[in-house]
Amino acid sequence: MIGWDWLTDYDYDWRFILRVIAKAALAFIVINLLFAVCNLTWWVNQISIYNGLVPGRERLPYGEQAEAYNLTLDSLDAMFSTHVINRPKAENEFRVVVIGDSSVWGVLLDPGQTLAGQMNALDLQMADYHYEFYNLGYPTLSVLKDLLILERAVQYQPDLVLWLITPESLHRPSLLDAPLVQRNADATRTLIERYGLAIDPNDTRFVPELDFFGRTMVGQRRELADWWRLQLYGFDWGMTGIDHVNAPYDPLTNDFSEDVSWHGLSPGDDLQSQLALDVLDAGRAITEQAGVPLYVVNEPIYIADGENSDLHYNIWYPNWAYDTYQGIMSENATRFSDAYSSPWDMILPEHFTDSPVHMDPEGTAQFAGALSGAMMGVLFP
Amino acid sequence: MDESTVRQQLRDFILEDLIRDPDYDLEDDEGIVSSGLIDSFSLAQIGVFAEETFGVYIPDPDLTVAKMDTLDLMVARILRDKK
Amino acid sequence: MFTLPDDQFMGLTEITILLIAAFAYILIVPGRWRGWVLLVGSIVGMYWLFPVQNIRWLEYGLATATLVITIVSWFITRPTGKRARKFTNEDRLVVVIVVLMVLAFTFAREVDFLDSLISRPPPLPSVAMALLVVGMLLVLMLRLPPRLQMTFGLLAIIGVFIVIRLPFLTTAAAAFLRQNAGQDASLAAPIDIGWLGFSYVAFRLIHTIRDRQSGLLPALSLREYLTYVLFLPAYVSGPIDRAERFLEDDRALADTRLQDPHRITVGLSRIGVGLFKKFIIADSLAVISLSATLVDQAGGAGSLWLMLYAYAFRLYFDFSGYTDIAIGLGVLFGIELPENFNRPYLKQSIAAFWQSWHMTLSNWAKSYVYSPLSRSLIKQRKLSNGQIVMVANLATMVVIGLWHGMTLPFLAWGLWHGAGLTVHKLWSDRTRKWYRGLRDTPNKQLAWEITGVLLTFHFVLLGWVWFALPDLQSALSTFSRLLGGGA
Repeated sequence: MIGWDWLTDYDYDWRFILRVIAKAALAFIVINLLFAVCNLTWWVNQISIYNGLVPGRERLPYGEQAEAYNLTLDSLDAMFSTHVINRPKAENEFRVVVIGDSSVWGVLLDPGQTLAGQMNALDLQMADYHYEFYNLGYPTLSVLKDLLILERAVQYQPDLVLWLITPESLHRPSLLDAPLVQRNADATRTLIERYGLAIDPNDTRFVPELDFFGRTMVGQRRELADWWRLQLYGFDWGMTGIDHVNAPYDPLTNDFSEDVSWHGLSPGDDLQSQLALDVLDAGRAITEQAGVPLYVVNEPIYIADGENSDLHYNIWYPNWAYDTYQGIMSENATRFSDAYSSPWDMILPEHFTDSPVHMDPEGTAQFAGALSGAMMGVLFP
Repeated sequence: MDESTVRQQLRDFILEDLIRDPDYDLEDDEGIVSSGLIDSFSLAQIGVFAEETFGVYIPDPDLTVAKMDTLDLMVARILRDKK
Repeated sequence: MFTLPDDQFMGLTEITILLIAAFAYILIVPGRWRGWVLLVGSIVGMYWLFPVQNIRWLEYGLATATLVITIVSWFITRPTGKRARKFTNEDRLVVVIVVLMVLAFTFAREVDFLDSLISRPPPLPSVAMALLVVGMLLVLMLRLPPRLQMTFGLLAIIGVFIVIRLPFLTTAAAAFLRQNAGQDASLAAPIDIGWLGFSYVAFRLIHTIRDRQSGLLPALSLREYLTYVLFLPAYVSGPIDRAERFLEDDRALADTRLQDPHRITVGLSRIGVGLFKKFIIADSLAVISLSATLVDQAGGAGSLWLMLYAYAFRLYFDFSGYTDIAIGLGVLFGIELPENFNRPYLKQSIAAFWQSWHMTLSNWAKSYVYSPLSRSLIKQRKLSNGQIVMVANLATMVVIGLWHGMTLPFLAWGLWHGAGLTVHKLWSDRTRKWYRGLRDTPNKQLAWEITGVLLTFHFVLLGWVWFALPDLQSALSTFSRLLGGGA
């Protein structure tokens, strides 16, 4: 065997093989124990080529598209370690963190076309400060998911938190439908307890805690494989700037039936109890403790003009529900935010894509412009 | 043709036509190809030389470094096929 | 562009199954049955690994065609004349076994669990008909004198190879087959015909025919011949073994000590190293390797160079990893397959590179293209030595290039290396004495050696651009962008 002398020259016997097997088995057991006992996965997640070898991602990793050099993770540690926010604040940087759902994340938008991306492109300055916007949006509509992200976001010394919401993300029974929430049960339960949220910590949607074997290296193999893939994708991200591939989509429903129920509620029902305002309160508590102003914004929605559009704004929201929501929000705004605004009808229908809150680049640009103006008005009244 | 004639003719051919250095002191068991003195094209030339001078056809798969590296090997091969 | 075929067909599952089979073989199979187990196992394995094709029943058809072509090839490579081998009982037994297996596979469509083993074979009557037709054609061919049989065999094999590799011919053949199978012929495309392993089978068969013509080939029984051509670990992507060498191991199988710690350690170690190289290093590099998609998406020259380096190492680790696994499995089964790689990127000249990259292929090309072509040109005395070297190198490398794929980029790749080899030969002829003199100045020699390694590596590196991109235009634009120019 040419070139394999190092392997073939030695005289092997059965004892050798047994020793190798024994040592390998021992090493295997030790490594697995280490993982289970010392939570080595957390340490592994701290190793990241992002913000070092390759630029940080402009939005949290999401989406199982190999051709988008992206994948969906459960671990908030891993997700944040790839994000561009994971860098020291520049001296004159005014750091704005934008939190929200898939519209903030930017489905069907390139990184530069998202809300945060467009606001960065505006190159805002005030006095000596330069405004930097960080996209911490993440798909699925759930303010509880937003809270998980917010809790981490304040650790990165933001100067302002922009939190975009919509009734769907406040719908209490749906809060735990978000996979990120279900899979980060521990962190979520801690939040529920600390802020006294009206959410059942024993809800069956929570993914059960990992048992001992789940914490071993073998049990953590998915997380470790995801970490490795994420590092590899980092090179592709750095070289191509691609983290999302646009897929063709169906146009928004413009015609509706006469049924005006919203998640089983009818006009006149108690809507407020279904809205998780306590989560917003918790958000306020977090930002207050960190000394960061919180600006909550009710994001623009698609307004239809088809059949029964006098009863429905869009496929998600019947008029009565949305209008009632608006009233509740403005009444309680000072409780859960330092500033609140509702540019819900600002963007024309033609700028919406595949969901009542997803805007195209043009619509997002308009919104970015208006929002930055409003933000400046809030910061410097 | 006897062994010493074959050896001498082969040696002359290698020194004059292949290595192009008539004064080179070629050992009988020296690796000519593996040491870089000649290359695989020269092996083809040796193949033709063997055909034309000794009437021995050495098939292509045997014109390899492994089988024809030294003068000894070449001579042995030619004599073997001459029988 | 070059797609590594073994990825999809010899994945971790398949390798694990082969490992288990190897251990069962080592523990259970008595010496004199080993050769037979290898034969039957390789045939079953070929049908098992054969990927499902777009055209109905084609995977079964192509696998069976491989068997038929190999058997015919054996027949025409038997020694003739005074030392003619008789058709022995063992040979007849092999034919019976093969025919029974081929027919038995058709029953796989009736039996549920065999479905995963052999996908969708055609119904029995069609197969019997096809066998009959083929049999008649063969009888006609075999009435020719042996020399014509061999020439015909060579041309037929090369012809089939060209049809399944030259895109427009492949499409035509696919259209014909689609029509036969009652499928839409207008959808025909080269991808319809994926003849697993045929590139390697063809070269093994050609080697045996040529060696019979030059008298080198020993007499092989049908069992030995079939096993040599179809040996499962080497079936998908080589190495391209030589029949003479394979025979030695095969004939010694009955006496080889398989339950031997040294053999098992070496075999398993090779497999282990191969698994690591292929499934960890190569598959990771694949994410950032040069490809048509990435080239379109990526920005500047820096990214492209990174992708090119990644491609070069991915290709090496993938192919050499696969070879390690194949050799390791072979060792466990009792056959020591030849090496394919020997630190190719550390060689000081392009000539040395080609003696250490895909060695079995380049040795094949040297024996059956370079050497005979050189010799006949030398004898004709019409061209100077320099011209002969150029023609022979270009021709050999073009053959190697087109063997990988019959498209312009592969042709360009072949010409690239052929030109490189020619330039090297001319240079080394003039500098041989000087280079020998360098031995007295070790530092200078070291400097030259390092320069040689870097030059050679980067020459090969740039050559991979032809390999990685699917057409000339994207390859040329990639070159331009690598050197800092625009697209």
